Amino acid sequence: MMKIENLKANIGSKEILKGLNLVLEEGKVHAIMGPNGAGKSTLSKAVTGHYEIEITGGDIVYKNRSLLEMSPEERALEGIFLSFQNPVEIPGVNNAYFLRTALNAKRKHEGKKELNAAEFLRLMKEHLESLGMKSDMISRSLNEGFSGGEKKRNEILQMLVLEPDVIILDEIDSGLDIDALRAVSEGINKMKNGKRSFLVITHYSRILDYIKPDYIHVLKEGKIVKTAGPELVAQLEAEGYESIEDENQ
Amino acid sequence: MKLTALQDKNVDELRMLLGVDAKKDLLLKKLSELGMPEIKNEIYRYFDTQSLLEKQYDRIRFVPKKIEESDKIEIVDGIIKTAPKGIRVYYGEYKEVDTAHFDPLYYLGHLLVSSVIIIELDGDVETEILHRFTQPDTLIAYRLVIKNQANRHATVYETFEGAHAEGSLVLYGYDMHIAKDSSLRFLKNQTMHNREYSMIASHKISVQKQANMVYKSFDFGDASALTLLKAELDRFAHIEAGHLLYIAGHAKRGIVSQIIHKDEHTTSHQEAKNILDDNARGIFDALVKVEPSAKYTKAYQNSKSILLAENTYMIAKPQLEIYVDELEASHGATMGQLDKRQLFYLQSRGISQTDARKMLVMAFANTLIEKIKDARHQERIKTSFEAAFHASNKAEEHLPTLLR
Ligand SMILES: Nc1ncnc2c1ncn2[C@@H]1O[C@H](COP(=O)(O)OP(=O)(O)OP(=O)(O)O)[C@@H](O)[C@H]1O
Ligand SMILES: [Mg+2]
Repeated sequence: MMKIENLKANIGSKEILKGLNLVLEEGKVHAIMGPNGAGKSTLSKAVTGHYEIEITGGDIVYKNRSLLEMSPEERALEGIFLSFQNPVEIPGVNNAYFLRTALNAKRKHEGKKELNAAEFLRLMKEHLESLGMKSDMISRSLNEGFSGGEKKRNEILQMLVLEPDVIILDEIDSGLDIDALRAVSEGINKMKNGKRSFLVITHYSRILDYIKPDYIHVLKEGKIVKTAGPELVAQLEAEGYESIEDENQ
Repeated sequence: MKLTALQDKNVDELRMLLGVDAKKDLLLKKLSELGMPEIKNEIYRYFDTQSLLEKQYDRIRFVPKKIEESDKIEIVDGIIKTAPKGIRVYYGEYKEVDTAHFDPLYYLGHLLVSSVIIIELDGDVETEILHRFTQPDTLIAYRLVIKNQANRHATVYETFEGAHAEGSLVLYGYDMHIAKDSSLRFLKNQTMHNREYSMIASHKISVQKQANMVYKSFDFGDASALTLLKAELDRFAHIEAGHLLYIAGHAKRGIVSQIIHKDEHTTSHQEAKNILDDNARGIFDALVKVEPSAKYTKAYQNSKSILLAENTYMIAKPQLEIYVDELEASHGATMGQLDKRQLFYLQSRGISQTDARKMLVMAFANTLIEKIKDARHQERIKTSFEAAFHASNKAEEHLPTLLR
């Protein structure tokens, strides 16, 4: 589905990703764990084309094309979605209007009919209920004054509506209460269809109890240093990242 | 005629040049004292008047026509064409010219016309004024007077058309008298395109006791215009002024204003939002003056600007001049660019850069647009805004992100 090859990336003049290799398989759930500052969020930004990131080497191949030549919006239209670690607040931009604009941009890109306000609201109602979101969240300004948990649910709402092919979740579980974690996980699981790939960045095993990962990758100092099955989580919990050696060296 | 011919002239010389009689000597004196706009003239410093004034213009002969009935007041090149039933619109002599206006062109405007257009708003009315300019390379000069009635609430919505007035200069303006205990909402929606006319508008608004004036200007497009506005507040009077500027190209556009608190318990609220693109220059040069007689005044002034391109230039000068202690006043100005994080967030959801920019610009502008009470006017102004936005973003629509 997506192949990241020897990716090197800078923020400013500092090299953060130092030759990172990762293959996302179709229909699989990949979890990425790793210490603070290792470059997990940087990886998600590199995939989505964030302006801060300067790619200095390597490639990201997706649907037989290099992502690096595509604008952020083009990547999104081609099915890449990032749930941000810290979603930004945008006062004055109505949440529903924003989401309908995004959905219709995607539908247009796919040659489908755009949804009118009424059709969109019907769709919205279903999703809001399943996520346990209050209906006024959609009529407010985008993320403005949302609590941490509300912002995360709003990210998941966007994911459900946009139906992307590659879903990157950057610490979707941090700051969520138990009910929210369950609702969010259910939302994510609903998206599994044997085709979509998931990249779940997390510090905690808890969410992995809900969203069963196929692979665990450890990201340390700008590289994937170990890839294993779900059994690795228990070892990491017990021993931390110190014990992990770069298996490629 | 060339307006630069009026520079540095005394009353006698001006009387000759303008062909007016001695009855107008007071206005001639004011024009001579204030001097025609020049670079060294503080209020015209940021607006390039020289090129406008040294041009050779045609003049239109003042030939009033029979006024037809229609749903709006339509004024074509300074001549009344239509007026709605129930609103009195006529030519007349104006005897209450302000003797202490700060703008020389306020006086020039009054000197260039033999009569003014008087609009009497009787009762609770709502009307629209459409100004049309049809002549190229012409000096189009006219003055209007608006009077409303005490205890009444009127709304005026003003628009402009000038597609054929290439190279013309419009010098116009209002003297508005807002009667005691009344309110007037005045909404100006002006989109000007490059290669149409330029404009200098000079207004005087007198807000009488307990009256409420709302003056909102929505200025869009890529041509140059300057508004000069003087407002005076009587006891318990209130003015709410809002200015939305969205300009592009090489436009120089904006407002120079003086809001003067003349008496006790007066309040003013002035808010400007400026969005500048390409090489545009925006002007918000706004003085609020609280005179010694104006105790218990409240004055609020604010300017916020977004610069969409590197070569834009915003002159934001909110100023307070205060001669009393008993008052509440605040003013401020901010300037910045579109927030990159917000832009990226929208783009990462598949929204094109142009649309994302539009959403953020719109969000910035909306606080002013959505304050318009009437939904229909709100909608029309939104439509104008979007059209202006698209006009100046069309060219770059298909450029890849990196090149912008
Ligand atoms: N805008 C920036 N300017 C300078 N350095 C940055 C910037 N953004 C990130 N970094 C640095 O890049 C490194 C990697 O950051 P990143 O956010 O990718 O870490 P992470 O693995 O997601 O960490 P966490 O688990 O804490 O979220 C860190 O050292 C961080 O300080
Ligand atoms: Mg992170």
